[in-house]
Amino acid sequence: MGSYYDVDAILTDAQKVPCTFELTVPGLGYVEGNMSGDMKQGSKVELPLWLGEMLAFSQSLNTSSLVTLDPPSAVAPRVLNALKADPRTVDLRALAPHFYNLGARILELFDDDEMMEVLSETFKARAAVIADQAHNPRGALGEGADFMRGLDENERQLFRAAHDSAKAVRTWMADLKKQ
Amino acid sequence: MALPLPPGLTPPEIAFLCEMELVTVIPRQKLERLELLGGSLPPLNPPHRAPLPLWLALLLKRQRRANILPPLWLSPHSLTAILDHETEHGDGFSPPPRLPPLPSQNTLPFSPPFLPSSTADAAPDALPYHWLELGEMLLETAADDFEDPDSVRKLLRGLREVRMAKLRQVVETLDAAGGVNMNGVGGMEVAEGRTFVTGVIDGLRKIVTSREQQKKDRDREERENGDDYDDDEMEMQ
Repeated sequence: MGSYYDVDAILTDAQKVPCTFELTVPGLGYVEGNMSGDMKQGSKVELPLWLGEMLAFSQSLNTSSLVTLDPPSAVAPRVLNALKADPRTVDLRALAPHFYNLGARILELFDDDEMMEVLSETFKARAAVIADQAHNPRGALGEGADFMRGLDENERQLFRAAHDSAKAVRTWMADLKKQ
Repeated sequence: MALPLPPGLTPPEIAFLCEMELVTVIPRQKLERLELLGGSLPPLNPPHRAPLPLWLALLLKRQRRANILPPLWLSPHSLTAILDHETEHGDGFSPPPRLPPLPSQNTLPFSPPFLPSSTADAAPDALPYHWLELGEMLLETAADDFEDPDSVRKLLRGLREVRMAKLRQVVETLDAAGGVNMNGVGGMEVAEGRTFVTGVIDGLRKIVTSREQQKKDRDREERENGDDYDDDEMEMQ
């Protein structure tokens, strides 16, 4: 993915995903809050994406992997159905601050063409609204405020880019009049 | 690490490039032939028209030594026709001016800004590459050379709105492969839309990275198999 120093990539990897332990691990109970006990086989724990990925897909000596990953709730079928119905009304920021980055990482791990389709369509549909809001001086504050609050980090950058370039052209036109 | 400027050209830079366009002036004073680095400029001999670069024309206009003859496509009539075309055809931009036929085999074909697309005898029915910048600058400095500057200004505003809205709608038809028909889009519009459109393409590509990776792997495999096949053929010969 991005650069080693990419803060967004680091924050994406820090998001929690549900994992199920396949083996009993002695002394690891503190992850669950069980200070002195063992991690029982079959217990479900929320682990950061980077850790869960490492445990689930590393080439260990055993034939079976230590944990199995489940898709996080941010890209659960319920959310995807809501996005299919109307991408504009879903608050992505509440689901995950780096929603699309998380989705892309999940897609790397699970092959899911339908999720890829839904995420692409959602991104496109919302990008069009973002562009309109960025060019509409009252949009971001008035009726569009709720939508703007629900943007994830990628979309916020997109909004900023669209807004800044429109502003640069307006500034140039205003400067022309001053000369 | 981070440059203070976004990728691409800023609006003042685009306007600077636009000042190289030739416009037709009607001089009020005599001026000798000027030898400049970019070539020689014709002597000005009132009342004969002469093509001059925009920057010099604007300078002479400010000094009241010349009047600028706006290009035909900046007339309210042409702009109205172009605006109608834009609103009727929702799926594309109005076509750019036609290129002249190739001169001959060995010479390089001309393209803007080396084509006189803004002089008085330019095509009246198409917007050239620098339409927005040139129109704004002429309206600002040489408004009294227009017959009806207010309606021209209003039409330019309308055109800009319609075309920018189209440029924004383009993203809904995008896919990660990122093919968009942008024929006829002007310089300032490219500057305005660049960061947004590339941002959308980047975002889409991030989402489908895994599929692209799979495809790349498959292609490589196929290519390797194909190479083997070619080798066999070579050996047969």
